[in-house]
Amino acid sequence: MSAVQSIAAIARADFLERTRRYSFFLALLFTVFLGYLAATGKIWLQFDSYRGVLTSAWIGTLVALTVTFFVSLVGFYIVKNSVERDRDTGVGQILAATPLSKPAYAFGKFLSNFAVLSAMVGVLAVVAIAMQFVAAEDAKVDLVALLSPFVLIALPMMAFTAGVALIFEMVPWLRGGLGNVAWFFVWISGIIVPVESQRWLDPMGLLMVMDSMAAEAKRYVPDYHGGQSFQIDVGNRAQVIQAWHWQGMGWEARFVGLRLMWFGVACAIVLLAAAVFDRFDTAKAAWSKRGKASKAKNGAADTVASGAGSAAVPVHLTPLAKPARVHAFGRLFVAELRLELFGLRWWWYAVAGGLLIAQFAAPLEVSRGPLVASAWMWCVFVWSGMGARERRFETRGLLFSCSNILPRQLLACWSAGVAVSVMAGVGAAARLALAGDAAGLAGWLAGALLLPSAALFLGVLSGTSKPFEGALTLAWYVGPMNHTPWLDFTGAANGRHEMAYAMTMVAIAAGCVIGAMMVRARQLRSV
Amino acid sequence: MRLLVEGMSKRYRGGVQALRGVNLALKPGVLGLLGPNGAGKSTLMRILATITQPSAGRVLWNDSDIAHEPDGLREVLGYLPQDFGVYPNLSAIEFLDYLAAVKGIPADAARRRISELLALVNLADAAKRPLGGYSGGMRQRVGIAQALLNDPKLLIVDEPTAGLDPEERVRFRNLLSELSGERIVILSTHIVSDVEAVATEIAILGHGQLLAHGAPEALLSRVEGKTWEVVAPSGELPALRTKYLVSSTAHRSDGVHARVVADAAPNGAARALEPTLEDAYLAVLAAKRNGAVAGVAA
Repeated sequence: MSAVQSIAAIARADFLERTRRYSFFLALLFTVFLGYLAATGKIWLQFDSYRGVLTSAWIGTLVALTVTFFVSLVGFYIVKNSVERDRDTGVGQILAATPLSKPAYAFGKFLSNFAVLSAMVGVLAVVAIAMQFVAAEDAKVDLVALLSPFVLIALPMMAFTAGVALIFEMVPWLRGGLGNVAWFFVWISGIIVPVESQRWLDPMGLLMVMDSMAAEAKRYVPDYHGGQSFQIDVGNRAQVIQAWHWQGMGWEARFVGLRLMWFGVACAIVLLAAAVFDRFDTAKAAWSKRGKASKAKNGAADTVASGAGSAAVPVHLTPLAKPARVHAFGRLFVAELRLELFGLRWWWYAVAGGLLIAQFAAPLEVSRGPLVASAWMWCVFVWSGMGARERRFETRGLLFSCSNILPRQLLACWSAGVAVSVMAGVGAAARLALAGDAAGLAGWLAGALLLPSAALFLGVLSGTSKPFEGALTLAWYVGPMNHTPWLDFTGAANGRHEMAYAMTMVAIAAGCVIGAMMVRARQLRSV
Repeated sequence: MRLLVEGMSKRYRGGVQALRGVNLALKPGVLGLLGPNGAGKSTLMRILATITQPSAGRVLWNDSDIAHEPDGLREVLGYLPQDFGVYPNLSAIEFLDYLAAVKGIPADAARRRISELLALVNLADAAKRPLGGYSGGMRQRVGIAQALLNDPKLLIVDEPTAGLDPEERVRFRNLLSELSGERIVILSTHIVSDVEAVATEIAILGHGQLLAHGAPEALLSRVEGKTWEVVAPSGELPALRTKYLVSSTAHRSDGVHARVVADAAPNGAARALEPTLEDAYLAVLAAKRNGAVAGVAA
C-alpha cells in the first residue's frame, strides 16, 4: 500500500469513527447555533455604527469569520482526541507494529481533524446561503462571493487548528490539561499579534477583511471615523448604508498567498508532530523523572509478583466486624479530596500558597479580583477531573455497583471541589469579611460554589475534562482579566449589581449540581 | 440468601437482543457461567451487578427486586467487571482505600482488609507502587481484591482469569473455592477448565438463551456413553468434522486421534472415553446450532 493510500485509510477510518459518535452530533448542533446567531443579527460586523448591505459577499464573509473565530476555538477541543483514542483503545499498538511511517500516520490524523472541522464549516456555508434569502436586502446571489470566504478565510484556520491539535497530542506535556489551556492563549494570540504588530501574521484573516471593508466604508459613509468591530451584540443594531454594496475581498494574489500560507504552516506543524511522535512506545511516555522512576520500579515489581506466586496459600480474611456504613460521608469526602489533589507536585502547592499569601498582602481590589481569579484558575486541573474521572479511567463498573453511590459519591466529590476553591481563595474572603463588604463576600462565595459545580456538571455530562478547562480559561480571560460584568466569576466587576450577580450564580451552581445528579442517575441505569 | 432471575431479557438500542427469557435460581455456591463470545454472559453479569437494567423480567435478591431496590444488593455485592480501569497515579493501597470509602467501610477495618487482600492476591510487594505501571495480570489482581473488599455475599466475577499466568489462575480458582461456602459466586468465563475446577453449578448461555443449567454431573451425564476416540488418517479429518462433533484432535504416528461426541460409535474401531465438561459444553452448543435446544437439567 502506498503512503497516500495509508494516509487516506487512516483519515477515513478516524473520520468515520468520529462522525458516528454523539459528540460529533453535538458539535454540529453548536455550529447550527452559531449559524442562528449570525442569521438573526446577534453576530455582527460594524463600522462605527454602520454596516453595508447584506450582499452575498458581506454574508459569506460575516459567516466565514464567525466560523473561523468560534469553530477554531471550540473545534480544537473537539478534534484533540484522535491520537489519544488510538492510545487508549490499543489500536495504536497495532498500527505501530505495521510498516506505517510516522509522517503518514500524522498526516492521516491531521486530515481527519481537518475533515471534522471542515464539515462544521460546510454546515455554516449552507446557513450563509439560506441567510441571504432570509435577509432579503440584496436579491442577487453571487455564489463565488458567498462561498470564497469559507475556502480562503475559514479553511486555512481550520487547517492550522487541526495541525496544532495534532502536535499537542504528540508532545507529552501538552497532551493533557496544560495543552487545553495553552490552546486558548495560542488562539487569542492569533487575534492580538496581528493587531499589535505583525498584520500579516493573521491566521483568522480578520484584519484582512476588516481593512478591506473599512476602505470601502470611507468611500460611502461620510462621517465614518475608522471604528470597526466584529462582535456579538444583541441590542445595538447598526445602521444600514444602502449605497454601500461591498463586493467582497477581490482576492488579489497577495491575499490568496497569505491565506494559503496557513496550509503550509499546518503542514510544517504536522511534520514536526511526526518528528516528535513516540509511535506509541510506552517506554518513551515516561518523560518525567517521576514516570521514569515508576516504570523502573514496576518492571521489577512484575518479576517479583509473578515469581512469588503460590497456589497453596490459604485464605485468611478477617470478617468485617461492623457492617459497611453506606451513608458515612466524611470518609468519602476525604477520599475524594485526596483523589482530586493526588499527583500534584510541590511547585503546584508553592504557587497556590503564594497566591494565597498575596491575597492577604495585596490591596483589597487586587486581592478579590485578579488574585483570587488567578488562584482559582490555578485549580483548573484539580476541578476538571470531577465527574469525568470515572469515565476517563473506566472505573464506572467498579463504582456504580456500590451501594448508595448517588448522591453520596457525587456530593462528596463536589464538596471536595468546593473545599479546594475555599482554600485557594480564603485570603480574599477574609479581606472582604474584615472590610464588612457583604456583597463582595457574596460574590466571592458565588464564585467558590460556581466553579466546582460547573466542573462537576460538565465532567459528568461530557466524560472528559476538556469542556471545563476550555470554558474556565475563556471565562477567566474575558471575565476577571477584562472586567466583564456577569462573566467575572469573582464578582468584582459587577459593581452595584454584585448581590444580584451572586444570587444568580448560586442558583446556576445549584442547577449544575442538580443537573449533574440527573445525568449521573441516567448513567447509573446503564453504564 | 437467594438470587432469582425471572424471565430476563435485554434488548439494546439498535435492536441487538442480548438475553432472551433467562430464568435462574441460585443458592450459596459457585455458578460457572459458560458460553461463546457474544452469548450474553457479560450482559447478564452487568444486570445482576445492578449497572444495567433488563428490558423485561426481574431479578430478586432475597425476594426484593434489584431494579427497584438496587442498594439492598449493592451493600453485599462484590463485582469484577470484564473491562475495568484504575487510577494510574494511585498505588494499589490508595486505590483500594478509595473504593473502601465509597463502599462505606470504616477506615481501620479497611486498612486491615486491604493488607490481607493484597497478600492474598500476591501484590503485597508492589502495593505502594503506582497502578499505572502494573502489568495486565497485576491490575486484574487489584480488581479481584476490590471485589472482596466488603466481604460480599454475592460475588460476580466476569472473565476474572483473563491476563493471569497459569500459577495465578490456579491460585484464583482456589480462592474462589474457599470463598464459596457462605456466599453466591458467579463466575463467567469461556475457559471450561476454570469452571470445571470450582463450579458447583453450571449454566450455559448461547445467543442470549439459557441452554443448560444444573450440577456438573448432570451436564456430564448428557454425554455419558457418547464420547469416543476415533483414529483416522489426517486426510479424513475434514469429513469426520462434517459428520460428527469433534471436540479435540491430536496428531500421532498412526494418524489423527479425534475425540468425537456421537450417540453411537462412529465406527467399529472407535474406543469409548470418559466424557469431560468440555465435551458436554460443546455438545450443548452443537445441539443449539442444529436447532434442538437441549432440555434444561435441573
